[in-house]
Amino acid sequence: MIRAKNRMGLIFFPAFDWAISPTHPEREERLLYTQDQLREEGVFDIEGLVEFKPDIATEEDVMRTHFCFPDVAGVTTESHMISAGGAIKAARIVMDGQADKAFALVRPPGHHAMKSVHGNRGFCNINNEAIMIEYIRDTYGLKKIAVVDTDCHHGDGTQDIYWNDPDVLYISIHQDGRTLYPGSGHVDELGGPAAIGKTINIPLPPETSDEGILYAIDEMVLPILADFGPELIVNSAGQDNHYTDPITNMSFSAQGYAILNEKLNPDIAVLEGGYSIQGALPYVNLGIILAMAGIDYSHVREPDYNRDALRQDARITSYIKKLKDVVLESYFNPPSYQGLPPVGEFMTRKKNIFYDTDGIRETQLESILRCGECAGLFSLETYSSVYPLSLGIEIPLHACGNCEKEGMKLLNDAKKSGKYSTIQMINRVKKEYFRT
Amino acid sequence: MAKFDLFLGLDVGGTHTDAVLIDDDGIVAHYKAVTDHDNLLRSVRAAIEEITRDAKKKNIKRVNLSTTLSTNAIVENKLENVCVIISAGPGIDPGNFTIGSQFYVVDGSIDHRGTEIKGLDRNGISRIAEEAAGSGIRVFAAVTKFSTRNPDHENEIAEAVMTASDFVTRGHMLSGQLNFPRRIVTAYFNSAVWRLYNGFADAIDAGLRELGIEAELNVLKADGGTMPLGLSRDLPVESILSGPAASVMGIAALCDITHDSIILDIGGTTTDIAIFADGIPLIEKEGISLQSNPTLVRALKTRSIGVGGDSVIHVNGRDVSVGPDRKGPAMAAGGKEPALVDAFNYLKIITFMDAGASERGISGLAANNGMTPENLAGAAIDFAVARIKDEVYRMLDDIHNRPVYTIHEMLEGKRITPDTVYVMGGPAEAFRDMLAEAFGAAVVIPKNYDVANAIGAALAKTTIDIELFADTGRGVLLIPNIGVRQNVSTGYSVKDAERDVRAHLAKHLQSLGVPVTEQDTEIIESSSFNMVEGFYSSGRDIRVKCQIKPGVIKRLS
Repeated sequence: MIRAKNRMGLIFFPAFDWAISPTHPEREERLLYTQDQLREEGVFDIEGLVEFKPDIATEEDVMRTHFCFPDVAGVTTESHMISAGGAIKAARIVMDGQADKAFALVRPPGHHAMKSVHGNRGFCNINNEAIMIEYIRDTYGLKKIAVVDTDCHHGDGTQDIYWNDPDVLYISIHQDGRTLYPGSGHVDELGGPAAIGKTINIPLPPETSDEGILYAIDEMVLPILADFGPELIVNSAGQDNHYTDPITNMSFSAQGYAILNEKLNPDIAVLEGGYSIQGALPYVNLGIILAMAGIDYSHVREPDYNRDALRQDARITSYIKKLKDVVLESYFNPPSYQGLPPVGEFMTRKKNIFYDTDGIRETQLESILRCGECAGLFSLETYSSVYPLSLGIEIPLHACGNCEKEGMKLLNDAKKSGKYSTIQMINRVKKEYFRT
Repeated sequence: MAKFDLFLGLDVGGTHTDAVLIDDDGIVAHYKAVTDHDNLLRSVRAAIEEITRDAKKKNIKRVNLSTTLSTNAIVENKLENVCVIISAGPGIDPGNFTIGSQFYVVDGSIDHRGTEIKGLDRNGISRIAEEAAGSGIRVFAAVTKFSTRNPDHENEIAEAVMTASDFVTRGHMLSGQLNFPRRIVTAYFNSAVWRLYNGFADAIDAGLRELGIEAELNVLKADGGTMPLGLSRDLPVESILSGPAASVMGIAALCDITHDSIILDIGGTTTDIAIFADGIPLIEKEGISLQSNPTLVRALKTRSIGVGGDSVIHVNGRDVSVGPDRKGPAMAAGGKEPALVDAFNYLKIITFMDAGASERGISGLAANNGMTPENLAGAAIDFAVARIKDEVYRMLDDIHNRPVYTIHEMLEGKRITPDTVYVMGGPAEAFRDMLAEAFGAAVVIPKNYDVANAIGAALAKTTIDIELFADTGRGVLLIPNIGVRQNVSTGYSVKDAERDVRAHLAKHLQSLGVPVTEQDTEIIESSSFNMVEGFYSSGRDIRVKCQIKPGVIKRLS
């Protein structure tokens, strides 16, 4: 019998009865062959590896993290609540000590879902990792958490949610945004005024292989993590860097994914994208599970794997080496914001968001109250092609008394103004989440 | 059953051999003797001879046998040397699955779709066969990864070693289920007990004929069903651990179980627990484990805990506990240490054998620990009841927390809420009121529970489960464990598959002489996935599981 070195919880929820549409990559079939492979390998019989049923996330879990317009039910289906619940379950079994590590192998994914949600973008409605992290911070009081997003697409949703949060380090490794959806994730996107350097982007050129991605882990991600000193590391585990993925252009392998997870040593992994459902996912998922559980994965290999064909161009290697200096500088010596409004005034940013899956266009005006004591009161005016002008207000975790007071005042003024169709309120200090 | 038909049920257990003869009106005769552990055949023959002494032999239509033969052989490691030949392809290092002294991994690989990735190394297999012949090995196990998606490589191995072998277990004939390590273990055990089991089967066959009994002969399985003796000759591993299942099916025959229920078999040393949902016994999801080796052998979901009538009472400070050890019989029956039964005896909940001895034991233990005997006896019983209750609820929790894979099951999953506890075993009556209170449920203690195991054996239905897999893109349909392989058209649908799987199951059993119709079959899982390559549909992946569920052919209540 095989024994796992790390006690490992697996939350496997393939949602065999849910699809975005019948031929969409995010369809019923997606994890079918992964399940076949895991069952045939006897993974669920491994001593120390236990399969768990997901929780179902509550409205409160979603409202703690997102502003949903018109409301949570309006932008989610049961599948989203189970997927987010799967991530929460992963957190609970690790935090409660039932397992050393957990992998939420759930769908649909979440890392393109931003703070404000009007619909589905990049196959995502709500952000599974963020909902999980906010659950952890709320329930277990952890302070510093790192998310390493290894999906091939930039996790613009997770970046947006933690943009101004100094306690959550977000590092994304992805195919360069100039060549792939969603087009963001450039090295100079470094976080908001209270959290500069706590968002780190590592955009890699198309056809980067095991060598390049593992170099990024060794030379950029691990030193940054060592310095940040998180209490918990989350792998936002997309599998679409794979050389067979139909919608991306990278050259990563199952072995590469396994080695990455061994090096990164995440406490929790949550599945994101990955759409080579026959040629990659069965082997990549097996590799990740074995690596996290501390079991030999050296025999895990795609049937058509050819190391020579996947060797990375020397120009890519030298590009990534140069990128290293920029990335490390961004974290260890981030630039400071120029021309910030003084403490006590709002810093604003206007954003246009396109929801590719649902064809929605949203316009946001984001305001952060400059505060010397906390991350600062956050608010967001939003309207979209499907929903009229609304407002989200967040009194952030560990907010100071003044920001909390200002938040309540903002809420009252907003109600009185009658301008907003919906107001979503997040009060992390009082743990109150509601809409009016 | 017809008016004069007789059914014989026989359970050769670890301690006792029980037999019953049943006719249309009920139990005609029953028999109990101590099992001759070293000569099970003698126990079987004695039981059959004795119980059919006054019966019209011609009227005996069915003899069903539950035996520990294969289980004992495995547990006591009295196994024939098996040459295990596997091919694995990419995945977990197959060296982890080494079993037996002759374990060979050959080149060759099939992927999760059943596509051959790498041909089988036939030369390597020939060399292995020669080597095996050289060391006098005559039984083989051929197991390849994903053989239930494509059995070609297993068949090729079997063919290549044919002349060197008396028997080859091909993994895909054991179960349609995906689980390569379990398939290896199960195939190994199957081949390792094959000769022993067939010798036994020959002897039973001959013995019955000598007695003038020409009944159909079936063997009990751990899932509470039977299989024809002829079939069991190729699948002897399916006969392991059938004893607890026989008792559970006995209760099903003695009581009219229609709701969610708990079954407790409280013996001298242990309490065995089973669960019924809507009157049907629950089956273990994957298969039963034998000596911590997980297998593909289908089994009823049962748990065993060390609480029984003879479980010793322990006092540690103010804590009173019972079991899991047994040190001979209770004091009431001549034992030396007070046991659970003595506590019941002391409180006069029952009157069992030497009540004076129980009183001495309980009073003595109480005095040594500064307690009143009433408190000690009460605490011991409370502990035992709480222990049983905890285990039942843990089992129900496990069932409710069992992972599911669709939103529908996630939201609509059935919860089991038992309203009746069926109790059998020597101390059953003593527990009646306490269990009723603990579970807030009705307690039923059937008559004749002492031969429930043999009754269960006599009346259990033939069970089988098969898994159909069809890929309309590749145009293939497989039902691995009954050897069906055919072509399907691109229009083949899940409805077609459900119809065909029932028909194949019925036909298979009919060919083995089991009188079933398609109405007896039941579809337990059915799915159809559109397969998409690029953005175009490339066919359907259809999977249908079909079974004859465990049940009894007749109730005695």
